[in-house]
Amino acid sequence: MSAAFHLRLRTQPALRLDLAGITPTAMAGQDAAAFARRPLWHGNEALPLGEFFDVRVLADEAPTLVFEGDLGRCDGVGRAMDGGSLRVEGDVGDYLGAQLSAGEIRVSGSAGLLAACELAGGRLEVEGDVGDHAASALPGDMDGMRGGLFIVRGNVGARFGDRMRRGTVLIFGNAGDFLASRMVAGTIAVAGETGAHCGYAMRRGSLVFAGPPPAIPATFAATGHDIRVFWALLARSLAAHGGPFEGLAGWRPQRLVGDLSADGKGEWLLPG
Amino acid sequence: MSAATATTGADAMERNGVRVDDTFAEAFPMKATRVLITAHNATWANHAAVAMTGFATSVIACGCEAGIERVLSPDETPDGRPGVAVLLFAVSGKELAKQLERRVGQCVLTCPTTAIYAGLPAGEAIALGRNLRFFGDGWQISKMLDGVRYWRVPVMDGEFLAEETTPVVKAVGGGNLIFLADDTDAALGAAEAAVAAMRAVPGVIMPFPGGVVRSGSKIGSKYPALVASSNEAFCPALTPLAKKTELDAATGCVMEIVIDGLLEADVARAMRTGMEAVLALGAAAGVRRISAGNYGGKLGPYHFHLRKLLAGEVRS
Repeated sequence: MSAAFHLRLRTQPALRLDLAGITPTAMAGQDAAAFARRPLWHGNEALPLGEFFDVRVLADEAPTLVFEGDLGRCDGVGRAMDGGSLRVEGDVGDYLGAQLSAGEIRVSGSAGLLAACELAGGRLEVEGDVGDHAASALPGDMDGMRGGLFIVRGNVGARFGDRMRRGTVLIFGNAGDFLASRMVAGTIAVAGETGAHCGYAMRRGSLVFAGPPPAIPATFAATGHDIRVFWALLARSLAAHGGPFEGLAGWRPQRLVGDLSADGKGEWLLPG
Repeated sequence: MSAATATTGADAMERNGVRVDDTFAEAFPMKATRVLITAHNATWANHAAVAMTGFATSVIACGCEAGIERVLSPDETPDGRPGVAVLLFAVSGKELAKQLERRVGQCVLTCPTTAIYAGLPAGEAIALGRNLRFFGDGWQISKMLDGVRYWRVPVMDGEFLAEETTPVVKAVGGGNLIFLADDTDAALGAAEAAVAAMRAVPGVIMPFPGGVVRSGSKIGSKYPALVASSNEAFCPALTPLAKKTELDAATGCVMEIVIDGLLEADVARAMRTGMEAVLALGAAAGVRRISAGNYGGKLGPYHFHLRKLLAGEVRS
């Protein structure tokens, strides 16, 4: 019996491999052999996890999973995870950390589509890039990311934060088109450039542009009031993550509200 | 609340010519919270705090007892502005919530540039900005930062920012000291010196005007409608008249300090600090005795024995 496991990808799966359900708390208390017998969907065929991964026990007493290898064809890594720690040494496929509610996921590479979808709690950190529709809603659902912390050290794709309604995101790189579209609430801070139609139909929530300011759409309008009190709280929270966000506390930001076509209570905070 | 009766010990302890009675202050459980008010500058933070803690001397008729605990420097406040820490005490969490909402709503929300935050790390949460947000009439917006929810309410100078809730903790109310002196100048001088020293003690307030109360009360009255009335045993005007008096003919003026604290140890520390300040003045300043008020020890679970406090027997 063990709480921590190391899983090394032995061979690249021929089809997409679904790792949903392989979470630190679900696997804690098993031995390596039982873990290796756990069935995984490979295309439409259920195969033992041991067909793809070498499993060995780690000394850590806390629920922990460490994946090693290029998991670019492995989807659902950390999906619905509810505690513990999960680390990936390499890239991962789609649905990384979707519906994560507690615990911590770290990926040293990049992630595919729909990362952090409906993330509700915990912390998800990706050193590389993430694909389209990250921090948004799962297909067919109404609400996107709804809590927790999502950090992307690289770039993000299109429709990032679509329908997002709570939580905090920091994007150290660039963002694709339709960043924060239909955003309901929450905070997204982006250090790089943003694509077209940023904030499209956003209703509430905060967008912080720590890098180049975006083009201002006609449906966003400046407010001239003093927001230093709120900014002091927000900037300190974001500055704790360092890098391009470290100097935010020194700003006196310009504030825009919008999207005026959709309630208009969202806000953009730009360098003053 | 304030004193009812006091006991004069036969083997009176004396320091610097001032006698310390062999008696104790009797205190009661209360519910309390600490809130931090910040503003554009210290003046406006103080205006808000003074207004919010006004008419909050006694739970007998004010609903709560409140006071400024201390002034906060910008590096001690959540938003980096000057601030004031305020403590509120009430007989129940429900009453405390009611008083807090009214006072913040009328005195802090209304005061230019202010913001308000919870000042205790843990406890049962009561609304701070949670209900006041509705003043925004739908324009209010919230923000969760590092697990804490704040409300931003649009007002004419910008935004009123309030943390959603503040924790309530069990606390101690009704610690007290009574100074018996030759005359008004001496009694006031002693009380002022004690209050000045006690204000440096964290976790306590002295809720009466200037920290001092001259109308020590007893429970009940000859008039059935009154729950409290003047404590004739400490009134110099009644020394020759009252059936029972705690004063001698030379005592011309008496002042009391009531202390509410977050912890029993806070109240004890404040009482000892106050007594030491008055004992340092000595009989030369016209102070004759230090006493304390109690109800015979049967009503309140906290007993602060003056001599034990001075001897360091009570951990404070």
